[in-house]
Amino acid sequence: MNTLRTIYQLALRECDVIRRIPIYGFCMVVFPLLTMFFFTSLMQEGQPLEMPVGVVDLDNSSTSRNIIRKLDAFQTSHVVARYPTVNAAREAIQQNKIYAFLYIPKGTTDDLLSSRQPKISFYYSMTTMVSGALLYRDLKTISVLATAGVGQATMRARGATDRQVKAFLQPITIDLHLLSNTATDYNAYLSTMMVPGVMMLFIFLITAYALGTELKFNRSKEWIQLSGNRIYLALFGKLLPHTLIFLGIAFFYSWYVFGVMGFPHPGGVWKIVLLNIMMVFAAQGFGIFAFGLMPSLRMSMSICSLWAVLSFSMAGSAFPVMGMDGPLQALSWLFPLRHYYMVYQITILNGFPLLDAWWHGAALCAFILLPILVARKLKNAMLTYEYIP
Amino acid sequence: MSTFLKNIIEGTRDACLIWRDEMRQVIKDEGVLIFFILVPLVYPLLYSWIYNNEVVHEVPVVVVDDSHSHFSRQFIRMCDASPDVRIAYYASDMDEAKMLIARQQVRAIYRIPSDFHERLNRNEQTAVAVYCDMSLMLTYKAAYQTAVMVSQEMNSQIQISLSGHYTAREEELLVHPLEYEAVPIFSPGGGYGSFILPGVLVLILQQTLVLGIGLSAGTARENNRYKDLVPVQKHYHGTFRIVLGKSLCYFMIYIFMGTWLTVVVPRLFHFPCLAQWPDLLALMLPYVLACIFFGITVSCIVRYRENVMLLMVFVSLPLLFLSGISWPQNNIPGFWQGVSLLFPSTFGIRAYVRMNSMGATLGDVLFEYRVLWIQMLVYFVIACLVYRYQILQACRHASKEAE
Repeated sequence: MNTLRTIYQLALRECDVIRRIPIYGFCMVVFPLLTMFFFTSLMQEGQPLEMPVGVVDLDNSSTSRNIIRKLDAFQTSHVVARYPTVNAAREAIQQNKIYAFLYIPKGTTDDLLSSRQPKISFYYSMTTMVSGALLYRDLKTISVLATAGVGQATMRARGATDRQVKAFLQPITIDLHLLSNTATDYNAYLSTMMVPGVMMLFIFLITAYALGTELKFNRSKEWIQLSGNRIYLALFGKLLPHTLIFLGIAFFYSWYVFGVMGFPHPGGVWKIVLLNIMMVFAAQGFGIFAFGLMPSLRMSMSICSLWAVLSFSMAGSAFPVMGMDGPLQALSWLFPLRHYYMVYQITILNGFPLLDAWWHGAALCAFILLPILVARKLKNAMLTYEYIP
Repeated sequence: MSTFLKNIIEGTRDACLIWRDEMRQVIKDEGVLIFFILVPLVYPLLYSWIYNNEVVHEVPVVVVDDSHSHFSRQFIRMCDASPDVRIAYYASDMDEAKMLIARQQVRAIYRIPSDFHERLNRNEQTAVAVYCDMSLMLTYKAAYQTAVMVSQEMNSQIQISLSGHYTAREEELLVHPLEYEAVPIFSPGGGYGSFILPGVLVLILQQTLVLGIGLSAGTARENNRYKDLVPVQKHYHGTFRIVLGKSLCYFMIYIFMGTWLTVVVPRLFHFPCLAQWPDLLALMLPYVLACIFFGITVSCIVRYRENVMLLMVFVSLPLLFLSGISWPQNNIPGFWQGVSLLFPSTFGIRAYVRMNSMGATLGDVLFEYRVLWIQMLVYFVIACLVYRYQILQACRHASKEAE
């Protein structure tokens, strides 16, 4: 009973701090939500559509115009301009007017009709990877279609049926099944890592900040005494309001992306709830650990922010961890976001049982237990250290 | 001597003194040093290490071969021989293959139907089913594109064997009446590192500057008796001299850091470096200045030195997206385009990437260049205004004390 009352008093004391210092409200509620709306609204299209593409058509025949029309009809490409020379088109890419261009040299139709194998080229820029990859896909399709068009015309002239034409031109087709994210939705793919990543960043920082400001404003002794010299109790009571607020934000985020935006989540609600709880606790565990390691406000916050920023790369959602060097693959285990992301993609996105991600679940639990390593040092610091500006 | 000239000389002397004071403070403060020196030095190396493999090769794939025929084996062999895909497992049925996906031992399933061979020999169309794990776009791309490429290659071979042409040229014309070529200009490797890092480098420049200036201002405030930003001192009574003196200090440090970030690092890691140095210099000048004045402006909001981290660290990621290198600029909603106008990094990254990675000249990035100068001016004025306010506040506190 006494313990419960102590926790209640500690939590009340922390609520008072949170209410008094506005930066808490911003970092715990406003900024995470802002980031969530930012990413989900930025990539609302799912896939970039109607990207500007140019054309250098020196052939100017019905065939070349047909190719251009087909290119324009794709949902990703939008033919916005024609250029007289390749150089002019290249300059337009450099000026950011177009992302790619199709070059049809003079005499393409003549060469095609007289079987002299003309060549068309597609120039795309990989300096923006998403647009480069998508536009490349369009070009590839266009070129295959154009090639097939020639064969189709020849075979039709010889009296082949459509089925025969199809079977001859494309004996083997590829039947593509996209598991879970059927629409190749970049929003569902990136936002589900970025937003939790930013939330974790704030949990790291705010945890370290909350502990560090006790020292900074010289309230640490009072805090430890209030808990009756029990550091675990002190930590639990102090961080309880944080946990509840962050959990609320995490659940709101989950409700928004999975419920409102309808991102794929065949794993079901309970796994989402469990993962959110593990995420908040693991991030708090890391924050306490970082502060315990170096009980100085600025050093621990620097470590937390640098670690959190790195974890966006080390989570391996954009560039996979399996493509990194060996030592980095091992280091990726030290980032809570990596484990969060793995558990998310295995159990929630793909809907496999938790057992398949148990290593990563165990790692998250290890992060939750990290404060045990530094609890003594933390208590010592709180009772003896002085803040040096 | 006129008072005007005297003012200028005195102001310059004060600015130099403030410059010296600020420099001393920066060197003494380890928190500021971390962000001014350590992060710009180490982070690019770390990121370059993370992305130095650039592309993903040998994505593990499982095959469910229900056909067990000459054709199916050829398909599998050709996929395995491609650079991007490795046939890691053979599964006897789809359930087994699914289990491998669940454990993330493979990234895709190729399923060859049992009538694959029969249909091909009967001149009928058949399909290989490709199931892709969508948790990683790069592996999906590798698995899918390899399957398409191999199927096209096999299709051509089948066509050639059916058509009964005499010469190799005839056969080539049959399968490729129209040749096509895809040219990835500017970054021919198409690697991930050389795509994302130039933007990250320019962003690091802005973020470390703002964080460092914010920390330094926070320290100044905490050391002050009245928690004011500006000490009440003879040399600190003019707005211009404070802003200029401090900027001079940061500018001096970032001449080196900027060179390291935008010139040395890309060369160390062999990213495309197509910009000519006068152009690059002309671009970096307004960019660094705009970042400095932006940082000074932000630093005035900060009450405690650590708060700047809470404010500025998380925006790094959205800022990278707003620059339009991850998500195409054309597809950023108008509202966020408007927000992106506020940050120097948006235009710094756009202009730098286009000049350094795509070989544009200063004339090609004229719009971004102009915006950077405008931002510099606007933030300079704002920085002066907020410092004016800070000076007045400091004077008020001092006079209160005197009473």
